[in-house]
This record gives sequence, C-alpha cells and structure tokens, in this order.
Amino acid sequence: MRLRNWIGGAVFHILPWVAGCLFIAGVVHIISILALPRLAPKDSFARISALAQPHKIVLLPATTPHTSAPFDDPALAQGVCRFDLSQGPVRLRATLPPDALTLFSFHARHGQIFYSMTDRSATRGKLDVLLVTRQQLDVVEANDPEDELPQDLRIIAPTMEGFLLFRALAEFPGEMAQAQARIRSLTCGLDKETRS
Amino acid sequence: MLHSLKILIIAALGLWLGLAATYYSVERGHDLGFGTGLVFGAVKAGPWSGWPKTGTREADPYARALFARNGETPLGVTEGLGFIARSDSGDGPLDPACDYLVTGAIPAARFWTLSAVSPEGKPLSVVGERHGFTSSELLRMIDGGFEIRVAASARPGNWLPVSRDQPFLLMLRLYDTALSANAMSVTAGVMPSIVREHCR
Repeated sequence: MRLRNWIGGAVFHILPWVAGCLFIAGVVHIISILALPRLAPKDSFARISALAQPHKIVLLPATTPHTSAPFDDPALAQGVCRFDLSQGPVRLRATLPPDALTLFSFHARHGQIFYSMTDRSATRGKLDVLLVTRQQLDVVEANDPEDELPQDLRIIAPTMEGFLLFRALAEFPGEMAQAQARIRSLTCGLDKETRS
Repeated sequence: MLHSLKILIIAALGLWLGLAATYYSVERGHDLGFGTGLVFGAVKAGPWSGWPKTGTREADPYARALFARNGETPLGVTEGLGFIARSDSGDGPLDPACDYLVTGAIPAARFWTLSAVSPEGKPLSVVGERHGFTSSELLRMIDGGFEIRVAASARPGNWLPVSRDQPFLLMLRLYDTALSANAMSVTAGVMPSIVREHCR
C-alpha cells in the first residue's frame, strides 16, 4: 500500500515533465517538417539550378543508377526550363506531333506542382502558355484587345522562381533520340510581347 | 537551480525527440513503407500503392519534406499516376532470387510503363539496357493481355531483368489516365497481379 502510494506520487510528479517533453517534441517535429522544403539543400530546384540557366530548355541526363533523381521512369526523356518571373513573364510554345506522349508540369520554388498537363491539351498540335505573376497578369490583361479572346493559356505562378519539367516518352528503346528532340523543339523564354 | 536544470534537460530531450521523428519520417522513409515514407493519402490496390495527391497543390507536408530531401519530382496529377509494389500479390516481399509473373488487368491509360528500381528508386545495375517495359513495346498475347517475367536470369517473352544480389521494387506508371481524377478508388481487380514463381 505504501509502495503503491509512493509510485503513484512519483508518477504524479513525472507526468507533467513527460507531457512537457512530448509537447516540445511535437512542436519541433511539426516545425521541422514544414521548414524542410525551404531548408533542404538537395531539392529538385537545387539539382536543376546546377544544370540549367534560366529561360532555356535543358535536357536532363539519362536515367542511370548514378545520375537520376529517385523514381524517374527510364523510358522518359526529361528536360527543364527554369524560370525567374522577376525578369518578366515567361512564354512556353510547343508544336507537338500527334500521339506522342509529352508531359508538362509546373513546379514552384519549394517543390509544389502548381499546374500539369499533357500534349492532349494542345489545340491542333500547338501549345501556347504564358507564365505570370498576379501583377503581371493584370498588365497583360489591360493590354489585351477588347474584341477578341486571348489565344494563350495564362498560368499564375505562386513563386517568382521555379521550373517547368518536360517529359517525353520513348515508346521503344531506340526512340530516345526522338523523345529528346521533341523536348528540344519546345521554346521557353522571356516573353518579348509583354516586355516593355 | 535543480528545477531549471530539469527544464533544460526536458527541453533538450524534446528537441532531440522531435528532430529524430523528422529524421525517421524523411530520411528512413523508404524503409517505412512509402516509395517514400509516412505519406498520408495512399491508395492501395493489392500489392500496389499510389500517392495521387503528391502531384497536386494539396501535397501533404510529409511528402513535400521528403521530395525536398531526396530530390524526387513526382508526376503532376494530370500527367499520370505512379504506383509502386514492394511485395507480391501473396504479400511476400519481392526477392531477387525468385521469378515473378506480372499479368492481368491494367487501368485504362494512353500509355503505361513497368520498371524495376532499387528501394531508393534508382535504376538497377543489370546487364543490358532493359530497365522497364512500355505498353507499346510489349509482346502481347492473342487476347491482347500481357505477361512480364521479372527474373535475375534470361526468360523468354517479356523479360524484365533484376540483379541477383540487389533488392528491388516494381514501379507502374499510368500516363494520361482517367484514373487520376478519381484515383481514391482503385481496386486490386483493375491492377496487374504479381505472382511468385519458383525461387533459387
């Protein structure tokens, strides 16, 4: 009975400390998980920044045991276009062959995918995308002619910097060169029409 | 004095525990189940798991932390959907000493690929250049179905080589698929089965 009282008393004393410790652990865990995308030095943006100048199409090295990012599909040719909207809106243009799989994804600075599409979004094989900030969109829309609809797809980027990732499928191993050529045929750069 | 020392110890212990939890969920995530770690919102269908939300604006914080750490670029939700399998249809772990037959149904997709990768998601070091199959290059059966044999030594038909002394997992990618939009409901019946055959 005495012993039980003693144990009960000890637990009663320790409990607040354990609770405090777990509380601190929880807060630290949540903060560090949320902070990681902003702190990680080896994220995909860092990897791509080391390979690619902004506003240029750059092919990524082929998927091999040593060069590729994890969980890349070896059947895909990959290319990127880094963007920095502080220099102005960025335009992506593509003329795509029918029935060849080409994938487009738009990545913000800290890894978030804010838009994605495939070659099926192209109208008559053509794709015309304008990547802007909200302020830039206001300027672009103010300059639109009033009597016609805009012909391009306008996408607002959540961060100033980021990258576009292009992936083209080589249906057969011998078609990797064609898949790479499909990516090289894209044009991506600062938009000349909207730059004043 | 003793009291503040206690507070200091508790704070240090809490800090250590919190960071350890982060380290384990991100760094050791591969061992804990995700192709990558403790990511919420997994879709399970037989041996296959997919994470459709990671390619959207609603990616959860664990997925984002993990991708920031390992440099992975997931598929955007309109591009397609990736699944990985670390076990066969009988729930046994994938063993490079065994042959596996991948066959059966496949969800409707414009193209799909099946590849074998290391548990970290890197291509395996195998003889030759074969790391996966695309839906276009497969030898089909007369009814349009397919059979892919995953084995360390050469097999007739669609042979997906693995390395005898390297653990692996299977990665299925569905491109331009109708699944993406309502991917929260995939049943094992629409996914290929992974049947273990003989082992050495």
